[in-house]
Amino acid sequence: MTEINEQKVTGDFSMYFGPAHPGSGNFSIKCEMRGERVLKATADPGYLHRGFEKLMEYREPMQNAVLSDRVCVLEPLQWNLVHAEAVDYLMEYEVPERAKYIRVILAELSRIQSHFIWYAAMSLGTGFMTGFNIAIGYRDYILDVLNLITGGRVYPAGYICPGGVRKDLPEKAENKILELLPKIDYMRKFALKQNPAWLARFKEIGTLTKEEAIKFGAVGPILRGCGVESDVRRDDPYEIYDELEFDVPVMDDGDAYARFTVGMQEIEESMKIITQSIDRLPKGEVKTPNLKPRVQFQKAEGEIYIRNELSRGEGAFYMVATGQKTPYRVKIRGPSFTHMIPIIEHLLTDVAYADVPAIYWSMYQCPADVDR
Amino acid sequence: MKLGIVIEVVKNVFTKPMTVLFPFEKIEIPERNRGEHEFNIDTCISCGACARICPNLAIEMVEVPSELREKYPKTYPQVDLGKCCFCALCEDTCPKESIKLTTNFYFATFDKDDTILYPVKAE
Ligand code: SF4
Ligand code: SF4
Repeated sequence: MTEINEQKVTGDFSMYFGPAHPGSGNFSIKCEMRGERVLKATADPGYLHRGFEKLMEYREPMQNAVLSDRVCVLEPLQWNLVHAEAVDYLMEYEVPERAKYIRVILAELSRIQSHFIWYAAMSLGTGFMTGFNIAIGYRDYILDVLNLITGGRVYPAGYICPGGVRKDLPEKAENKILELLPKIDYMRKFALKQNPAWLARFKEIGTLTKEEAIKFGAVGPILRGCGVESDVRRDDPYEIYDELEFDVPVMDDGDAYARFTVGMQEIEESMKIITQSIDRLPKGEVKTPNLKPRVQFQKAEGEIYIRNELSRGEGAFYMVATGQKTPYRVKIRGPSFTHMIPIIEHLLTDVAYADVPAIYWSMYQCPADVDR
Repeated sequence: MKLGIVIEVVKNVFTKPMTVLFPFEKIEIPERNRGEHEFNIDTCISCGACARICPNLAIEMVEVPSELREKYPKTYPQVDLGKCCFCALCEDTCPKESIKLTTNFYFATFDKDDTILYPVKAE
């Protein structure tokens, strides 16, 4: 994968970071190198394109709920939620109160496990295998609970579906979730320990200023790590977020360490949200009554753009219905797109090649939602 | 700092490991787990709802082998696990609870034909 560029001085060459690099995920970055330094980087996406937007035009909303899991493997429940909200709006479903609480609890659990993967990936990218193993181990406790509730460890198969959720919480699920919280807290504290090796790899690396972040369209923890307080759960509340108390962590430094720290602080806020939701969890239905599993668009007409705060930032669905069984048009806005193309190209200018994995993983990207 | 590491090591020596010794030990699989299908031909009314909702077109309504056709004259769902995404929409939509996803997920195979679940096997 290395080409010597003969026109330039000796020592200039191009090098690919990914897609076969163990720390790159399904993404590739072409780096123009001079010795050990990256002069210019060009993102090369497209390895995970599955054509969801077109596929969804050929499937009915309930089938699309199953498909929406796969937009991002690492946060499937949150994608379920955005999709379900778009259909709920178009079909004018009144979502039962209990279902709204369950949706929020699961979305937050999904956020926490995704943030653990972030820590795991940053550890892996910088050769800290212990961190990777511990984070993946603790994530597994969450997956066990997700399996208990949704029937799948990673893919919930549209558990959060149009009209509510597919099934009520099983017996003792609330207790199981509450039992998880001390484990999550242990892992969070472990990740936030001031490990000197960790600081050396991430502090003052890949610094993005507030102005640049806004200019490039950064969202989520990446934007909050640059000192901008922005969170869709707060700014444009959906489900029951306006009734819950939580803070939006922000850090001003804008470097890889700040972004990551914001992410780990968010875990604490998610824990608060889960505790409050379980405390207030009402009894009753979890699905719009009389809703058959086959949800059709027969009478829906109109369009909607709906956005949610996913683990990686603002993710959205734009959906148009024209009274057909299937949506007329679906457009998905993934949070990683801006992080992975303009921002990463900007940050990987004149840096050491050894810092590429550190900067790359600090962007908390998901190649799956870049390509969709 | 050093004492902290010692305490952590001692604690870890006495805590239960995160992993189990598979295949000698197995973790408990929750009842809702979406695994291999279980089909009850006697309660099935051949409505075809499962085949219509399947997002992956993994279900085909087929006739049973000729020697059983007298007993089961209609068409019944045949699932291709190779195409299935284990979403359990077929289970949710079945009016007679004839098709169910079980906790069994041990069905890795080298033979493509093993992935087909026939509604009923000839004797
Ligand atoms: S589980 Fe889903 S994909 Fe599999 S056969 Fe049933 S409906 Fe089809
Ligand atoms: S399994 Fe259920 S849904 Fe499928 S044909 Fe039989 S009765 Fe109908």
